[in-house]
Amino acid sequence: MLSFLFKKQSQVEILIFDYLETLKLAQNSFLNALEACLLNGVLCENFEYLIIKTHKFESRADDIREEVKALMYEKALIPESRGDIMLLLDAIDLIPHLFEQILYSIQTQKLTLPDFIVTDTRELTKISLECCDLVVREVTALFKGNERIRDLLTQIDGNESHCDHLERLIITKLFASAVDPFQKLQLKELIGLIGEISDQADRVSKRINIINIKRKV
Amino acid sequence: MFSLLGGIFLGWSLGANDAANIYGTAVSSKMLKFWTAAMLASVFVIIGALVSGHAGIDTLKGLTSFNIEQAVISSVGAALTVAIMTSIGLPVSSNQAMVGAIIGIGLLNNEMNFSGLGKVFSCWVGTPIGATIIAVLLYGGLARIYNKLDLNLFVSDIVIRLCLIAAGIYGSYALGANSSASVTAVFVGAGLINKSSATLIGGVSIALGILTFSRPVMETVGKKLVRLDPFSALIVSLSMAITVHFYTFVGVPVSTSQAVVGSVLGIGIVKGANTISRRTLANILIGWLLTPVLACLCALTIFFLVHLYYIPPNYS
Repeated sequence: MLSFLFKKQSQVEILIFDYLETLKLAQNSFLNALEACLLNGVLCENFEYLIIKTHKFESRADDIREEVKALMYEKALIPESRGDIMLLLDAIDLIPHLFEQILYSIQTQKLTLPDFIVTDTRELTKISLECCDLVVREVTALFKGNERIRDLLTQIDGNESHCDHLERLIITKLFASAVDPFQKLQLKELIGLIGEISDQADRVSKRINIINIKRKV
Repeated sequence: MFSLLGGIFLGWSLGANDAANIYGTAVSSKMLKFWTAAMLASVFVIIGALVSGHAGIDTLKGLTSFNIEQAVISSVGAALTVAIMTSIGLPVSSNQAMVGAIIGIGLLNNEMNFSGLGKVFSCWVGTPIGATIIAVLLYGGLARIYNKLDLNLFVSDIVIRLCLIAAGIYGSYALGANSSASVTAVFVGAGLINKSSATLIGGVSIALGILTFSRPVMETVGKKLVRLDPFSALIVSLSMAITVHFYTFVGVPVSTSQAVVGSVLGIGIVKGANTISRRTLANILIGWLLTPVLACLCALTIFFLVHLYYIPPNYS
């Protein structure tokens, strides 16, 4: 009803949801790339294509974030909301960046996962990406008020703890194996990066919760 | 018209300084464009002056009797006080300067309405105290409603911005209604103009100050208020407007800056935080004591200078 009075604000809202959709596309592309790599190895054609696709989505997300920031600098929203949204987007943006970083690590170091950690790594990836989905729902709840932020925060927190557990388990298995020590370190770094997705999702989730609490007077 | 210049200057400086208390938060944080805020404030200051500016005129012109010369001297004395205090960086209230200058004239005439003066002083003391109480009550009541509504970020943003604009409109109306009397009451007392012209001239001169010189003050003073969260800034704006409007009904021009300080103090009480420094409280005391004293001295000095006669030496 008041959109004609708050045009910039409406634009910010549209761009934020556009950003969340792009994040979801980057996430799907990342998952497909990872699956392709696990099934067919790093040299498969599909893997290269999916890396490029993930990079494009990550880049698109960056552009949207910059567009939102530019609108904010043009004084959309009240100062406190501006600051909160800018910091929130910066925090979320580290997630697609992690997707890209993981795929580049696999590509450039030509990493292959030993069979004994494939299942656990799949589980770790699945739960980490579930955290990303929950973050998207939490951001939507912040801007639309359609869900309870506290419930989503609890779920993400639980998933993050589970991911930490899986990460430790995989690394323990890895170092107990007869894999080449140099390769062990490379894989440890990769598992750490995958685990970092849920850590970052947890940080974003806590930030959203603080923004929500701050708005109560 | 020339006789009114002192009063018009006083109204101009009042507009230039006090608009910051009304729209400072919104303008300095760029929630509202300066020109939108200035136009809204100017229009509603004039409306406030025309609709409710009469009561203050009755109180101020009733403090003592004036002739035209004394009216001009008191307005120039008050204007000079505002200029001196502003140039040395001390807080000043145009309304309090005007009352000080009127006291000076009252001393010259050996005629002072002490009950009226007592009413004025008690309202000055009551301004920050009243604003504190109103802020505490408003915060408690509105916070409950706001939290119950559980608005999402974008909607609450729109609601707060609209409320800040509405509180600013109300504040402008209250400023015009309350302070236009300071600008021209003495001229009504001297019989130079009637009440309706006085409120119009008062309102227009305040609006002129807002339109021409309030921008830098709004941006600097507003930044201090912006440190409050948006909801608290809204409460400060609203309780300032209510306080000033209340004293309009009482018929005493009061300081919007002191009402703002009282409101911020009220926010501090609700939140259990120290929002006001001792320096700010000292500034209020300076406003209460130094401004009227200096204005009184200025008026007396101007009167003395005006009545100096050159006596040529006798060579015979």
